[in-house]
Amino acid sequence: MDLKNLMNAHPNVLIFLLSSIGLIVFPHISHIPTSIFVFFYVLLFWRFIGLWEPGYLPGKWLLLLLGVCGIALLYSQHQGLFGRDAGTRLFLVALSLKLMEIKSERDLYLISFLAFIVAASQFLYEQNLLMAAYILIVCCALLATLVCINSRDPQPFVALKTASVIVVQALPIAVVLFILFPRVEAPRWMLLNDKQQSRSGLSDSMEPGSISDLGLSDELVFRVKFAGDMPPPAQRYWRGPVLAHTDGKRWTRSANRDFEKFMDQPKFKGLRYQYTLLMEPHDKNWVFALDLPTEYAQPLSRNAHYQLISTENPDKRAEYKVVSYPDYNTGFITRTEYENATQMPGAPSARIKMLVEQLQGFSIPPEQFIKHLLNHFRKEDFHYTLTPPQMEQNPIETFLFETRYGFCSHYASAFVYLMRVANIPARVVTGYQGGEFNTVGNFLEIRQADAHAWAEVWLENKGWVRVDPTAAIAPERIEKNFNLDELALGSVIRFAPVSDNALTASRWLKQAHQLWRNVDYNWQRWVINYNSLNQSKFLSSLGVDNIKLMMYWMIGCIGVITAILSWMLLRQKQKATDRILRIYNRFCQKLAKRGLTRDVAEGERDFAERVKAKLPERSSEIGQITDVFIKLRYGRVSTPEDLKQFVQWVKLFKV
Amino acid sequence: MQNAINQLVGSANQIILGKDHKIRLALCCLLARGHLLIEDIPGVGKTTLAHTLAKLLGLHYQRIQFTSDILPADILGASVFDAKNLEFNFHPGPVFNQVVLADEINRATPKAQSALLEAMEEHQVTVEGKTYPLPQPFFVIATQNPSHQIGTFPLPESQLDRFLMRIELGYPDAAAERTLLAGENRHRLIETLPVVMPPEALQKIQHAVTQVFVSDALLDYCQALIVFTRESSEYPCGLSPRGGLALLRAAKAWAFMAQRDAVIPEDLQAVLAAVAGHRLRSGNPNSDATIAPLLKVAIH
Repeated sequence: MDLKNLMNAHPNVLIFLLSSIGLIVFPHISHIPTSIFVFFYVLLFWRFIGLWEPGYLPGKWLLLLLGVCGIALLYSQHQGLFGRDAGTRLFLVALSLKLMEIKSERDLYLISFLAFIVAASQFLYEQNLLMAAYILIVCCALLATLVCINSRDPQPFVALKTASVIVVQALPIAVVLFILFPRVEAPRWMLLNDKQQSRSGLSDSMEPGSISDLGLSDELVFRVKFAGDMPPPAQRYWRGPVLAHTDGKRWTRSANRDFEKFMDQPKFKGLRYQYTLLMEPHDKNWVFALDLPTEYAQPLSRNAHYQLISTENPDKRAEYKVVSYPDYNTGFITRTEYENATQMPGAPSARIKMLVEQLQGFSIPPEQFIKHLLNHFRKEDFHYTLTPPQMEQNPIETFLFETRYGFCSHYASAFVYLMRVANIPARVVTGYQGGEFNTVGNFLEIRQADAHAWAEVWLENKGWVRVDPTAAIAPERIEKNFNLDELALGSVIRFAPVSDNALTASRWLKQAHQLWRNVDYNWQRWVINYNSLNQSKFLSSLGVDNIKLMMYWMIGCIGVITAILSWMLLRQKQKATDRILRIYNRFCQKLAKRGLTRDVAEGERDFAERVKAKLPERSSEIGQITDVFIKLRYGRVSTPEDLKQFVQWVKLFKV
Repeated sequence: MQNAINQLVGSANQIILGKDHKIRLALCCLLARGHLLIEDIPGVGKTTLAHTLAKLLGLHYQRIQFTSDILPADILGASVFDAKNLEFNFHPGPVFNQVVLADEINRATPKAQSALLEAMEEHQVTVEGKTYPLPQPFFVIATQNPSHQIGTFPLPESQLDRFLMRIELGYPDAAAERTLLAGENRHRLIETLPVVMPPEALQKIQHAVTQVFVSDALLDYCQALIVFTRESSEYPCGLSPRGGLALLRAAKAWAFMAQRDAVIPEDLQAVLAAVAGHRLRSGNPNSDATIAPLLKVAIH
């Protein structure tokens, strides 16, 4: 059929096609420039108008102009065609221009295929479960338009049903291909041109105030799944960069940190925790392990600050197996380390000296001084808040003597500073603390909001010991997770328990939320993270360890699935001819063995008469069976007994 | 009721020899409240069949001989001025009978043929703006000569469609012919026939026929047949919905005559040639040849 005839007969097909294309392109809104997005939808809308007013569609010259506009638009954004963004946008512009010149049925197919490519390109940007479901649904709609075009059936719902059946039938094959098809690492050059997506996270420096932004972000940093016991909340310190150098305001990593310690042999004792870390994409190669990691495999290594570093590209989601002991002794301190850990930005002021004096910092052993200092924080009017007042000059002093409002980094930096004034080696450790436990999936989720800073003090015979001054002022910050919504209010955080009513109401919501996050976790872990390494690991655990065997398995599985599907299709056809007919056909087959085949157009009674003449000794049975069949199939009333008898007679019938 | 039917068929068989199936078809058409068209060369017993049926059913019977100069008024009747009462009186024509034998219908002009149209379809006659109902039951048996004969006007399709069945009688076989030749004058025999099925009984049977059950499975088959006529290249024109209804109606009557309360595929096949043959306009005058491809359509 010519396109014009098709369109005249079924104008719905184009409406259907254009709508599904509109839906497919829509999620691109977040990563294509507004100009191209608007360009696309203006042309789509134009095409829609053209359905009813074909005169409004652009002529040859206007179309040429539009083409030039599209190219110019692309050129203004990218100077080449390589890379994810440029490629995706090229397809979008091409699709929108092609929409304007639908002349033959072939164009409809071309547009559908272009739209499929655009739909797939969405996965270059987002791989989450919701997006996958959305793309699957809109692709189903697009498939339905193809069904419409091919079957000349303008009924959208019938076509949608057919399309979804096709999709469901394709799913098992997709699963087999997913599991068994040799995975190729995505060519890096494809994505290289694009700007790095900026991700917030811990930085390698700290200025009291910089972590307050983090405190409000719900973004996931990593997940931890423990094999066995979990440490209590008070021990969940996930170690990040250690900041030893300060200029009075800003804390940074010491310049010569790489030379600090060799032959380091911390001693571990007590409980052993084994866990799997699933790091989200990140822009630093830090891996946040539980204080203090001891067993880890390639590509991880531990630096002088006991922080785990990965040599892998942190841009991808990665999984690591780590063992940690919360109880440890790091032993001696090196000279460089000692110097770094007692570095001062200048001579302390008189007020500071007086405070240390008052807390007996110069006269008692370090352990005692730590206790006194923590008591000081606890007893004096110190407050925990995520929105402290600005402290431009001398932040430590201002915090200690004037404002007294601050969060972890204020406390950590002030604590370390005072320790150093008392000549005790101390440093700031940043990282994450706590994490929310997902009861459904049995894993901990650590978000940016869990960012934390604490102090580490070197003590004789104990090595580096963790001291968290924040725990002194706000033990709840450490003991339990706080509510993000409360944080957003910008007030002093209260850790008082929420009333019971609100608790039960929110528990439901929380559970649903956790369930969803568990699904997402599994999706990320098993589907998105299924790379060549995981594939070969998984397959070799099944005994498939070379590519040849893998291909055999793949071909075999697809063969089996195809066979099952076709068997189901055939069965379905058989089902349509009902049970009575099936039994009657069995009867006919028995007769056919004697050369008495029933013609498809031969009435059952006529057939019976013909057969009776050939088999007079069986005529009564043949007559019985035929009569009851006619009664069952064509009669006004038939009883279940008739059916039973019919089945019985046919079963007993022998030629 | 079944007794009456068998008796009727038996009696008719004594008059028209060797044509059991055709007699049954004619009766079936009557029971299905349809009109019958008998097409054959002159002298094979068309008129005799019509006459016999009318006699056995005890119905008023009138024959109209169609000629090329017959006028509608000759069929329907006309208003005649009554000089005594000074008014027009309607004199009903021969169509006001229970059984009307329209002999050699294709010898008349289309104008006269169409006069029968309304009567056949609506069971009423309109003359000069006044509508007169026809007696019940009303049954038209028309005979026609094969249209290749001289002096015939082929029946228009619309009128052909109004006949439920068209049958061909054909020559009798040798044994029947022998009996016929040796036997008595048929016309005299008809005169002596008893009324086997009075009109009340006929109407009762006609009603009972409509109650015959049609299963879904049979409707599937019926539809498959109809669809085949529309999609196959054998036929220039498929069965109309009226054709489909006619097929089912005739099959019900056939099933009733075979003492069944539900239609089976054989019933459809038995009436197929008579009901569908003249509607498919295949150009083949022989109905059996016309519907041969139809009889290859699968039942299930």
